Amino acid sequence: MQITLENVSHIYGKGTPFEKTALTNVSLTIPAGAYVGIIGQTGSGKSTLIQHLNGLLKPTSGRLRMGEWEITPETKRTSEWRKRVGLVFQYPEHQLFEETVAKDVAYGPLNFDLPEELAMQRAKEALEIVGLDYEAIKDRSPFQLSGGQMRRVAIAGVLAMQPRVLVLDEPTAGLDPAGRKSILEGIYQIHREQKLTTILVTHSMEEVARYADLIVVMANGQVVMQGRPEEVFAQEEKLRQLSLDVPETISLIKELNEQLPGERQIPFGLFREEELVQHLLTMLASKGAGL
Amino acid sequence: MNVLQNFAIGQYVPGRSFVHLLDPRSKLLFVLAFAILVFLANNWQTYTVLVVFTLSAVAVARISPGYLVRSLKPVWFLILLTIILHLLSTKGGAVYFSWGWLTIEEQGVKQAVFISLRLTLLVLISSLLTLTTSPLDLTDGMERLLSPLKKIKVPVHEISLMLSIALRFIPTLLEETDKIIKAQMARGADLDSGNLLKRAKNLVPITVPLFISAFRRAEELAWAMEARGYRGGSGRTRLRQLRFSWRDAVAALMILLILGLLGWWRA
Repeated sequence: MQITLENVSHIYGKGTPFEKTALTNVSLTIPAGAYVGIIGQTGSGKSTLIQHLNGLLKPTSGRLRMGEWEITPETKRTSEWRKRVGLVFQYPEHQLFEETVAKDVAYGPLNFDLPEELAMQRAKEALEIVGLDYEAIKDRSPFQLSGGQMRRVAIAGVLAMQPRVLVLDEPTAGLDPAGRKSILEGIYQIHREQKLTTILVTHSMEEVARYADLIVVMANGQVVMQGRPEEVFAQEEKLRQLSLDVPETISLIKELNEQLPGERQIPFGLFREEELVQHLLTMLASKGAGL
Repeated sequence: MNVLQNFAIGQYVPGRSFVHLLDPRSKLLFVLAFAILVFLANNWQTYTVLVVFTLSAVAVARISPGYLVRSLKPVWFLILLTIILHLLSTKGGAVYFSWGWLTIEEQGVKQAVFISLRLTLLVLISSLLTLTTSPLDLTDGMERLLSPLKKIKVPVHEISLMLSIALRFIPTLLEETDKIIKAQMARGADLDSGNLLKRAKNLVPITVPLFISAFRRAEELAWAMEARGYRGGSGRTRLRQLRFSWRDAVAALMILLILGLLGWWRA
């Protein structure tokens, strides 16, 4: 589902000594079915931005639109948004509370008035999507699980609501490399299979490079850059000014290009690891190996 | 919808005003003395003295009045109840209004105003204390004031440490609560509908994670303190020593002045 933001601003604690502007005039279009990476430093407004996407926060000024629904500062009910936009917070395992894993995952569907049986069915599907063995885990207490498993259960809790838009706030924070990879791959798989619109908030350029069709760079509560990954990565200077790095693959392409003649320059579009490796191998295999 | 953003109690607003720079000990003593003096007031003149004084203290502290008024939010119901009860039940003097057995009389109006004023002033002055004193200073001051009790084996240091930890973690826990509420709302939790029992049940998804995180934090804090060699209060020295200054003398004079005025004017 396409989501449009028009001049969205948000001020926390308006009218108190702690007033703080978190977002200033953010305008953004998130196309249906896109995988969008939002990147920026701590305090750049990423978390505030995504809480607008399911109506948890309302803009101080500006509006959001998704299909027939709209959120303006005056909007009262935003439950339609919560039904359709699933938001996975940072460290989502901190929200687990039920006696058993299955019950915890079914909490969301039950809240949206699904009959118990269907909710349990959805819980089962969601747990399988995140790569957990339903039969083995359903009756265990979520608090006995390992950190990585808890994270998966919590993500399943959001997936079980079968949202059309999935928003994830640093879903890999605090996990080891293997855990990171399998969570991100799992998310990417659902993204493609269920044609979800997916929004991934992260610090890591590598993660964004790997999955995103679109990149939004935020700084000081504003969108400072947006576009296709190769467009954003091409502006390395600007990224560095924002204390952000380009992915290692891009650095490598740049270094190689300095050595290569014009006609053999490697395009920035090949920033995905496998594609770059493939390209380099073909280059090496071709006769004029000038590398 | 920032659920807890209107929570003003215990929120320190940093500043460099006269009130901010007072020694926390004198501020504590001052609030204590004021709380007693409030009960001496019993007529228009004496209440005027207290109101004028409170308002000037607020002005000197440069805390935005609107923000201070928010601290009355938790007690407005109590104040309203006081007003209604006194209006209806205190009799004497001219009758202003009567309807059946209901009468509002002069004494009732007077008492309603006085008692609610008393409550309001108490809340305002104590909020002023927490708004202008950092929690650390506050517990430091308390520990020093209570230190004579160590002689009779009262664990003053431990009490003040517990207090400062509690104060320190109020904002953290509020933030945590806010986060958990939002996370559960994102999963469709409905916190404000249904009858009392249903509402209480709806809170389980908030309280369970909150307790778990509070215990985890407590454990981590204990480890961190032990790792840095904390062994209780004995022999512990301070980085910042509290010192009285001319400001504290002014504050003491103010209290004497109020006492004098109240003694002079009270009926």
